Amino acid sequence: MDKQQLLFRQVFEENSRRVYHLCYGYTGDADSANDLMQETFIKVWQNLDKFRQQSQMSTWIYRIAVNTCLSHLRKAKRRATDELNDHIVENYTEEPSEKQEQIALLYKSIAQLEENERIIITMVLDEVPYAEIAEINGISEGNLRVRIHRIKHKLTEIYNRNESI
Amino acid sequence: MKAFEEIQQLWNNRQDEPKVDFDELMKCAKGSRKALAAKFMWQCVAVGVAVLLLVAIVAWVDFVTWTAYAGILIIVACLVYYLVNQWKDFRSMERSEKLFAAPQQYITYLKAFQQRRNRFNTYNYAVYEVCVALALALYAVEFFYRLPTLVFAAFVCFVVVWFLICHFVFMKRYIRHENARIEAMIADLQRIARQFEE
Repeated sequence: MDKQQLLFRQVFEENSRRVYHLCYGYTGDADSANDLMQETFIKVWQNLDKFRQQSQMSTWIYRIAVNTCLSHLRKAKRRATDELNDHIVENYTEEPSEKQEQIALLYKSIAQLEENERIIITMVLDEVPYAEIAEINGISEGNLRVRIHRIKHKLTEIYNRNESI
Repeated sequence: MKAFEEIQQLWNNRQDEPKVDFDELMKCAKGSRKALAAKFMWQCVAVGVAVLLLVAIVAWVDFVTWTAYAGILIIVACLVYYLVNQWKDFRSMERSEKLFAAPQQYITYLKAFQQRRNRFNTYNYAVYEVCVALALALYAVEFFYRLPTLVFAAFVCFVVVWFLICHFVFMKRYIRHENARIEAMIADLQRIARQFEE
């Protein structure tokens, strides 16, 4: 294994779970999340030599992941929320425990947010530092804090509404 | 009723893991590059063969008019133009530096890319159609001197009917379909772009 491949393995192991969570939060479906994660890391591999260390490696990878998720609509028509929700429920049909049901409900609730809100809240839930989230999304930290406050409130409201149905 | 902190707890406790492992990813990364290279290699080969065939025709067939040569030259230019544009757009999409841009700028890039593709598939196709029609018309001058009148008339009728079908049925349908798709995509991109504004 050459030096670049070793570096890439390390980068993959350190970042794959978070990138997967971001893609899962964006698409609300495990298969699409795996595809988008794979596409993201293929782009990372192809562009590894272009990483200039002006930002953290994780920030750089997140940006590629966010942009890959955003361009996802070029390939697949955005699914209607209902269709997406059916798929999420399908993923948990094998004797779902109460916890699994709650997790399915959480993904269903995230899917009802707007695209940028899904991306931001997924990173917040994964405890990515605010400065990094702001850099990835190209907005100021002050603006981000306001948005996060609003999104947290919105997600909680949607989740509780879905739970009561 | 749950508070956000409980939702956070729920998120931390879930166990969904990616199903892609490193070795599989490397295989795909290398494979996708090979597949892309193979795709363009075959496109280049196909255009190369077509160009060689046309050159061979020019070399072996003794045309009596200069218009036949001009017609073939126009067809070759169209083929090369198409190939170069396909290559440029694919490279721009796959290996774009824009991938590292902030989402807002990336979406602007995607919108511009979609519009460029739309122009290429519609306006440029119309120009391509005119070029091919001109090339065939020039070529027909040669046929006029070589073919019996009835065969020549049949050839002209066939070409005219084929062009009318392409223009009024296939091209119109393609443009309608392509425009609807691009408009939907641009509407989506505009909606998302607004979400990333400060």
